[in-house]
Amino acid sequence: MQPEVEGELIRKCQAGDPRFYEPLVRAYEPVGLRLALGMMGNREDARDALQDAFVKAFEALSSFDARRPFGPWFLQILRNKCRDQLRSRASRFRLETPSDEMERHPADPRWGPERQRQRTAARETLWEALGDLPPEHREILVLKELEGFRYGEIAGILEIPEGTVASRLFHARQALRDALSRNGGAVNGGSSS
Amino acid sequence: MSHDPKLENGMEIVDQETLMRYLDGELPPDERRRVEAALSASTELQRDLTLFRELKQELAGVIPDAVGDRAVSVWEAVNRRLARPLGWVLLVLGVLGWTAYGVYIYITSPSDPVEKLATGSVAIGILILLAGVIAERYREWLTDPYRDVQR
Repeated sequence: MQPEVEGELIRKCQAGDPRFYEPLVRAYEPVGLRLALGMMGNREDARDALQDAFVKAFEALSSFDARRPFGPWFLQILRNKCRDQLRSRASRFRLETPSDEMERHPADPRWGPERQRQRTAARETLWEALGDLPPEHREILVLKELEGFRYGEIAGILEIPEGTVASRLFHARQALRDALSRNGGAVNGGSSS
Repeated sequence: MSHDPKLENGMEIVDQETLMRYLDGELPPDERRRVEAALSASTELQRDLTLFRELKQELAGVIPDAVGDRAVSVWEAVNRRLARPLGWVLLVLGVLGWTAYGVYIYITSPSDPVEKLATGSVAIGILILLAGVIAERYREWLTDPYRDVQR
């Protein structure tokens, strides 16, 4: 979404008309859902957190500067919502294996069924390893590896100094490698994805 | 696995944060050249970089698959929740309006004052008890450690 359009929509929402919030919700829903899913581990909790975050963001829009980009600010709210839910709910990180969803996708014709099965198994192992990480590691990996945010943007969303981003990323990646080793799915430097 | 800035074969090897910045394309050109020189001199560093690079590639695919393309928008649910406060405001205003009208009709009715006083006492007593129970429940809810536990 273009910044001018986004700013205009925010100003209209600030005037109290929630109809103009819909394009913003639809624009930031995919990125939000991926972040929430990475944090919460399953679609149900991820969608709950996403809904809460959109409602909270709308309620807080009156104090938001419409010249600023909405995305990082919203993701900051979403990340806090996810962490609140993880803290308060007995379920904590509840893992849902993504295999059902993966199997829905047509097989890549370059690979045979066996290769496809191995790939699905490898991704499930990776997903489970991600679930073994603490939230601060999961969130930074999702923001960097899945959303492709720059360090400066990640620093803004996570409210940490930019210098801390690199070191936290290192520890998160290292922890993921360790978790993969424990689950028997270590990245070994010789495989191809 | 981590690299402290130190000399290996006379060449400075890179620390973990610099390696991450290199991997993520966050280094300025001169720093990048320094890391590449260190990489050409250290097989251990090359191996680490390869492992992190593979991890990065694998991760990039895992969550989009899990999200899938069946995801239904949360807009309808969000919209309903945004409209909820307006519903409450209208409901409370309506109840207050009808109550005030009822009180007015009751006070201005030609009934016996003693009868009015007795009926009024009963109504006010019920309201006080109801408010007390609601306040008590609310205080309990605030301090309930299990309020977020899903049954």
